[in-house]
Amino acid sequence: MSVRYDAIVIGGGHNGLVNAAYLAKAGKRVLVLERRHVVGGAAVTEEVFPGFKFSVCSYVVSLLRPEIIRELDLPRHGLEILPLDGTFTPMPDGNYLWRVNDHAKTRREIARHSRLDAEAYEEYGKAMAQMAKFVKPILSMIPPDPARLSWREIQKFIFLGRRFRSLPRADQYNQVQLMTMSAVDFLDQWFETDVLKATMAASGIIGTFLGVRSPGTAYVLLHHYMGEIDGAFRSWGFARGGTGAISNAIAAAAREAGAEIRTQSPVARIVVKGGRACGVVLENGDEFEAEVVVSNADPHRTFLKMIEPGNLPDDFLEEVRRYKFRGSSGKVNLALDVLPDFQCLPGPGLHLRGAISISPSVEYVERAYDEAKYGHYSHRPYLDIVIPTLTDPSLAPPGKHVMSCFVQYAPYHLKSTTWDEEREAFGDTVIETLAEYAPNLKDIILGRQVITPLDLEREWGLTEGNIFQGELSLEQLFFLRPVPGWAQYRTPIKNLYLCGSATHPGGGIMGAPGRLAAMEILKDFKR
Amino acid sequence: MAHDLIIIGAGHNGLVTAFYLAKAGLRPLVLERRHVVGGAAITDEFHPGFKCSTLAHNAGPVAAGILGDMQLERHGLKVISHDGALMAPLADGRALRLFADTERSAREIAAFSKKDAERYPEFERTLSRLAAVIARVAAQAPPSLDGSSWHAFRDGWALLGLGREVRHLGKRDLYRLLRWTPMAVADLASEWFESEPLRALVAARGIFGAFLGPRSAGSAALLLLRAAADPRPAGSLWIPEGGMGSLTQAMARAAQEAGAEIRTGAEVRHIVVQDGRARGVVLAGGEEIAARRIVSSADPQRTLLGLVGPAELQPQFISRLQHYRCRGVMAKLNLALAGLPSFRAIQNGSTLSPRLHIGPDINYLERALDDAKYGRFSREPYLDVLIPSLLDPSLAPPGRHVMSVCVQFAPYQLRGGNWQQQRDALGRTVLDTLACYAPNIRDLVLEMQLITPLDMEETYGLTGGHIFHGELSLDQVLTMRPLLGWARYRTPIAGLYLCGSGTHPGNGLTGLSGRNAAREILKDR
Repeated sequence: MSVRYDAIVIGGGHNGLVNAAYLAKAGKRVLVLERRHVVGGAAVTEEVFPGFKFSVCSYVVSLLRPEIIRELDLPRHGLEILPLDGTFTPMPDGNYLWRVNDHAKTRREIARHSRLDAEAYEEYGKAMAQMAKFVKPILSMIPPDPARLSWREIQKFIFLGRRFRSLPRADQYNQVQLMTMSAVDFLDQWFETDVLKATMAASGIIGTFLGVRSPGTAYVLLHHYMGEIDGAFRSWGFARGGTGAISNAIAAAAREAGAEIRTQSPVARIVVKGGRACGVVLENGDEFEAEVVVSNADPHRTFLKMIEPGNLPDDFLEEVRRYKFRGSSGKVNLALDVLPDFQCLPGPGLHLRGAISISPSVEYVERAYDEAKYGHYSHRPYLDIVIPTLTDPSLAPPGKHVMSCFVQYAPYHLKSTTWDEEREAFGDTVIETLAEYAPNLKDIILGRQVITPLDLEREWGLTEGNIFQGELSLEQLFFLRPVPGWAQYRTPIKNLYLCGSATHPGGGIMGAPGRLAAMEILKDFKR
Repeated sequence: MAHDLIIIGAGHNGLVTAFYLAKAGLRPLVLERRHVVGGAAITDEFHPGFKCSTLAHNAGPVAAGILGDMQLERHGLKVISHDGALMAPLADGRALRLFADTERSAREIAAFSKKDAERYPEFERTLSRLAAVIARVAAQAPPSLDGSSWHAFRDGWALLGLGREVRHLGKRDLYRLLRWTPMAVADLASEWFESEPLRALVAARGIFGAFLGPRSAGSAALLLLRAAADPRPAGSLWIPEGGMGSLTQAMARAAQEAGAEIRTGAEVRHIVVQDGRARGVVLAGGEEIAARRIVSSADPQRTLLGLVGPAELQPQFISRLQHYRCRGVMAKLNLALAGLPSFRAIQNGSTLSPRLHIGPDINYLERALDDAKYGRFSREPYLDVLIPSLLDPSLAPPGRHVMSVCVQFAPYQLRGGNWQQQRDALGRTVLDTLACYAPNIRDLVLEMQLITPLDMEETYGLTGGHIFHGELSLDQVLTMRPLLGWARYRTPIAGLYLCGSGTHPGNGLTGLSGRNAAREILKDR
């Protein structure tokens, strides 16, 4: 007879682990079941080639909520964030744009392209920091339900309304525009330098099936001003030991609080009796009972695959089916013999320590999207590249490097071909693209791992390869995420909850969904 | 003698405002730059014996309340509506037809998809329920962001329909409304339907006149806004006998009867501002007319940056207004035809619908936008076509026809070239596109009148050639139209108001901007 748990968390991704840690800290008996051999989900470090360790999927961190770091005491559990400094954008004409955290330096650099923009950059930074301050509390807030007229829900709307109205008019403008405009339209109001706009706007499309000119992409620009590491705004970083170190630290905190974590334990089914979730069955037939079941998997996997038909209302299932995934990105991880040499700024240097962005013009990025709209991966994709070994040499043998290339667009649905057929050609495209700026690249590759959206689905359980467990488009955010009426982590099945990126506030290594879900679950335990 | 009030521009919104203000006892003087009233709602004999609605060819339709208040039928307006509503010819020679009658439409749809035919009636019902809420929002001034928090709360409440309407709407529809508004219309259409021709037909309304493709977020909001005027999924045909000019002529008569004075050929050059207050206008000939209040039906940029001038405005306001997006994407082609073109889709005695949609699938519409993003007109444009002479024989000599074509996308700003050089090429492209569906069309053309976005700006006063006086995108609607904080028809200049399409709801020929503006102006009396 197996033990009865208070809570079972399906999936040991970072949100599942955060959720488990909070539940365990509240004294609950928690079991985390992870399908793979390693915890972390998409926040994982794996030794892909002997001696070369990669943050296989997610590769940078900035949004991890400071309250989580604090409350779970993650530094004590081994979390160390190393700063990622700057963004370097090589251009085909031999020029480049290199922004760093040092404001004065960046200003001088932008002034090389446009004096006006250098001035605007200052203003822009201030305005965005204001906006980020406005938005931040929303990340730590249970979304209100507009169709429920209880005092508790109305209070949330009043809170939001008051906050908005208390902003100066200029900030109100920015806020409305950020929520509705395209990244390029928004940036057009501030800047004239094409490469600057392209690089900034490209960050607005990461993980979405939208172009830089698509309305609704501007708000992601905020993310760059929302990241907090050691309390400092707008910093991005690496975890020492790769992204998996974050998951490991959270897992350690969860274990310390008493949570049990089992890997290689794929859940086949959630047991529902009388409209209530009461346990899970593993693929090997093992059964576990629990008071509540929390799924860190996305709504498709949770509701369409793990729940037997008949347990959910039809209109809810209809909403789940229309929830949009549409993965749009892939990843190419390279083991390198030496550092790549960029034609526009030769030799090793600090410019390689930050992000390297292949986004030379707005048109370049937008055309990459055009191809994806019609079912082709971009012939010249937008790349966001990091070489974490420059910051954390422990990831590769001495003198060697690992390079991580985030690639967009790689639409999950390809027209008249499959990802299994296209995987290597896709990898070649990425190398070709990058080699146009760093010609030595082809000669220094010791190993190459190509991850297509289909691989993300198969191996990491991300439906349609969406890295955020569902598109972060306006109609799938806040009280509409994942489906309207079910944005407060509960589901139509009693005692079944969601805690993954498919819930508010969504994707990225934030941990907020896991924490907020835990808060709601604990509220229900008290009832 | 100072007039009570001057209205700049005798477009339909200017005339509606004039009517309501005159009705309330004011004596507005309407000044129209051109020799004819109507703005973008005009009829022109562009070839001997051939008359066509020069620009707008299908009304919003005009809100029923306005029609009734102005008694336009008594003033000579005869509306032709037609239920053979819309035909979308396809490349393979078939065609999808939608009618006002739901069942009949469903039968047509069944030829493409049985499932879609089943879902269509429900879509129509849902759209019309949601559109009814939007229609209420469109018929009132947007909520204020200023004032006490109680006012804001009340406004917000009224607006979101969290009061009475929502209870009518129900939870499911409320969620739909919230979810649909920011969506891409292609996604919305795909959620309901599986056949491409129907998806494209539904989606087209969400991009008409806008710099949006069916995959652009916010295009579903535009569909809802248009559905607020007419909730049928494909829209409707609502044309005045004699072309759009007859509508505005009737409006002008109604306004005059109510007490408004209208002067044509009176171009306002400048709005006189003293101490932050509008005092009157100066005409092109130098004549100065004093007035206590000025209402402009011109677009916001033309009014404030052009007629008032930056010296009277705060730098931040100027900068915001300069960034108001007002780049048109539509051209208009009017054709005088020697006969009715033979559409390949017309076989076995079926008849030609007077309204045609050219844009057979979502990708076609999206590709048409792609060209415009990079500063070119669409190689295969999306066309909204009317053959008004099928319904109104007064427009062409017997046996002959006029065809009126809205062409999208034709961006105001071209890359590498200008509209003088590219005008003919665009005309050819449109005829080539039409010829895919009606191969003999080129042989029938007696005359063509092509109006580029540049012409729309230069001849008809639409800044940037934008038919809606500014993009109807999520950041420029409702409380944000034209600018956040200035959505209630007032401007930073005391006594100066806006009443054109650059204000809420700003959607085609419904007259609602004009009526909402008049109400606000009367509140300040």
